[in-house]
Amino acid sequence: MKTLSLKNLQKTYFDPYAGSQVTAVHDVSLDVEQGEFVSVVGPSGCGKTTVLNMIAGFIPYTGGEILLDGVAVKGPGPDRGVVFQSFALFPWKTVLDNVGFGPKMRGVPKAERDRIAREYLDMAGLSHAADRYPAELSGGMQQRVGVVRALANDPAVLLMDEPFASVDAQTRMTLQEELTRIWQQRRPTVIFITHDVPEAVFLANRVVVLSKGRVLEQIKVDLPRPRAWDDLMQDDTFKRLSAEVLQMVRSA
Amino acid sequence: MNLVLQFWGTYVRATKRWPIIATIVPFIPVVALWSIVAHSGIFPRAFFPAPADVGRTFVALMYKGILPDYLQDSLIRLLSGAAIGMTLGVLLGVLIGSSKWAHRVCWPVLLFFQAIGDIAWLPILLIWFGFGLTTMTFVIVYTVLFPVVLNTVLGVESVHRDLARAAQSLGASRMRVLWEVTLPGALPNIITGLRNGLGYGWRALIAVEIIVGTSGIGFMMFDARRAGSTTEIILGMIVLGMLWYIVDAWILAPIERATGRRWGLVTS
Amino acid sequence: MIASSKRPGWGTLGPRWVRRTTHSLAGTAMFIAPLLVLVAIWAIAVPLFQVNPRVFPSVASVADAAADAIRDGSLIRHIGASLVRVGLGTLIGVVAAVPLGIAMGVSPAISAFLTPLFRFFSVLAGIAWIPIATLWFGYGFGAIVFVIFNAVFFVVAYNTLLGVSTIPITVRNAAASLGAGRWALLTEVLLPGALPNIVTGVRTGLGFAWRGLIAAEMIATNVGLGYMLFVARDFYKTEVIVLGMIVIGLLWLLIDRLLLVPLERATIERWGMVRRT
Repeated sequence: MKTLSLKNLQKTYFDPYAGSQVTAVHDVSLDVEQGEFVSVVGPSGCGKTTVLNMIAGFIPYTGGEILLDGVAVKGPGPDRGVVFQSFALFPWKTVLDNVGFGPKMRGVPKAERDRIAREYLDMAGLSHAADRYPAELSGGMQQRVGVVRALANDPAVLLMDEPFASVDAQTRMTLQEELTRIWQQRRPTVIFITHDVPEAVFLANRVVVLSKGRVLEQIKVDLPRPRAWDDLMQDDTFKRLSAEVLQMVRSA
Repeated sequence: MNLVLQFWGTYVRATKRWPIIATIVPFIPVVALWSIVAHSGIFPRAFFPAPADVGRTFVALMYKGILPDYLQDSLIRLLSGAAIGMTLGVLLGVLIGSSKWAHRVCWPVLLFFQAIGDIAWLPILLIWFGFGLTTMTFVIVYTVLFPVVLNTVLGVESVHRDLARAAQSLGASRMRVLWEVTLPGALPNIITGLRNGLGYGWRALIAVEIIVGTSGIGFMMFDARRAGSTTEIILGMIVLGMLWYIVDAWILAPIERATGRRWGLVTS
Repeated sequence: MIASSKRPGWGTLGPRWVRRTTHSLAGTAMFIAPLLVLVAIWAIAVPLFQVNPRVFPSVASVADAAADAIRDGSLIRHIGASLVRVGLGTLIGVVAAVPLGIAMGVSPAISAFLTPLFRFFSVLAGIAWIPIATLWFGYGFGAIVFVIFNAVFFVVAYNTLLGVSTIPITVRNAAASLGAGRWALLTEVLLPGALPNIVTGVRTGLGFAWRGLIAAEMIATNVGLGYMLFVARDFYKTEVIVLGMIVIGLLWLLIDRLLLVPLERATIERWGMVRRT
């Protein structure tokens, strides 16, 4: 069982303009079990993106530990896949080649990695776009490719950094439902950063509320799956949970 | 009026079909004007030859094989110098664009030496290497280097940080990120740099040939000046202009546009 | 992340002008530092490797040459001659090119028609005109100014044309519907709208002009920086050559920093406009 453990995670850095050390993340401890879907919410500046960047290995952490299956995390790697708010698809590669990029880095031969890529594209309903370039796709489709690309590399943890923030509201709802559907098929471990509280509750098993660089609260979400917006929008439990979390975030 | 409009309509349709017409037709009135002024005798014929005179010289030089030879000399110098300059430029540009430290150290030095300019190096180059190919190649490499480096740096810096991070999170090593992300990402700007570099290199070549050449188009123009033969000077200028126009507008610019479009960037 | 949108640290240094001056001084210092290192390497390397002064001069000899040239006024004379020529040629070129470019750019048909012409002549910028310039005007001031004029004129005209023709027609219509007459349209819409491209054109043209100037001065005159360089070669006076090269580099950097960059900042960046290609 691959578990991700954050123990007393801390991040300070020197801000030349302030002329002093600034602490972005004070003390974050969190355990994520395999197959869990964890949403992280919090007001702007609470440190959630910094935490994600540290788990992903893009920035070093200055205190505490990040352990993946007991092994300390150092730098980026294929065991922690990332989905970016800006999509970050390679514009000069086709959708197929984008999705096959991870396998390519592992040395998988072309025929095999094309097969893997097509399999994942099928899962997301994107087979028809395999030979297109990212610039030819809509924002929603590009992000779906982004998700699929990260998944196709079979990471231990999938890190998603406000992935649907750059997409219009209706497409966002479709993407959220798609994400839960794909998640149910493969059950990857997911850490999902967002400032959209209903989105966080809709997607997750557990919602973590961050504030000023610390964990404020953790709330279990026991809603049944599969989840659909049409149902949940009217559901009392969903509305209560959303309101609770929103209250916490706003007063944080 | 109707006739004019008809004519205009035909012209527009023809250019759609054969774009080359749009390039050639604007020059017709210029040549016509030139011919009229020359024949009118305002300026002495020796100073201001007519298009026909230039045409005759063109035929004569082609026949004697001088023009093709000079052209070949010029082109070989340009291409060899440009090849070196471009390779060096891209390598240097990638280094400077990727490393903040390299940027801080090299950037002021780069800008200062660019400010000196290639031509100013000629006197000391002549002392070091004499009137030969080395001097000419140095100047061309020097000229081509700067636009290529600057544009490459711009390209590398404009690659979105998320792209490199995405590649890393998909298992790419530093080297692979450079090859798979940084270089392709910077390619549109690199091509712009190559295009600019080639343009500057072409002009530098002419300058060098004028000042220190023994063959080539630039030399032909300067030698003709000494002999007072205006037709050859003008012929040289036309050949220069046409050659570069063809290369730039019909080869380099489309490549630049195509990469830009494919990368999803907005270009003209 | 606790965002530091205010900058409390700098604020403690004093009022805004103090902060900005310190900031730009620091920037200049960082720019000069690598160059000073280069000079230091030069100062050490020449005596260390016992470089022949006829191959490369020592720092001291260049400094001496500079002192001499300033004292007898020759440096000032050369710099002055070069600057006057490039200044005059550029001025005439810009003054002639901008109105022409605007006049042509207003009509899409005319600008499409004339664009190949201007692109063709832009290629010949400066240097290629030297032979014919010296033939028509003889050696000296006239030929050089002509070369510079050409270097600037075609490039600026082309860029102006481009700038005007890419102003969205909706902007021009808006001005007209707000009551702008011909003159107002010109000064309030066309000129400002084309300004980013014009400034780019001036920068490019000036670059061509500067290089054309040096080249022309090497063969077509007896005063000026290019001449100073070329004649020193005959006597193997490398210290004068290197002095000249440094002066040329510094002059261009000054022109860039003191003229072009402020110009660009005042127009392009201030108005948040992007240069349309």
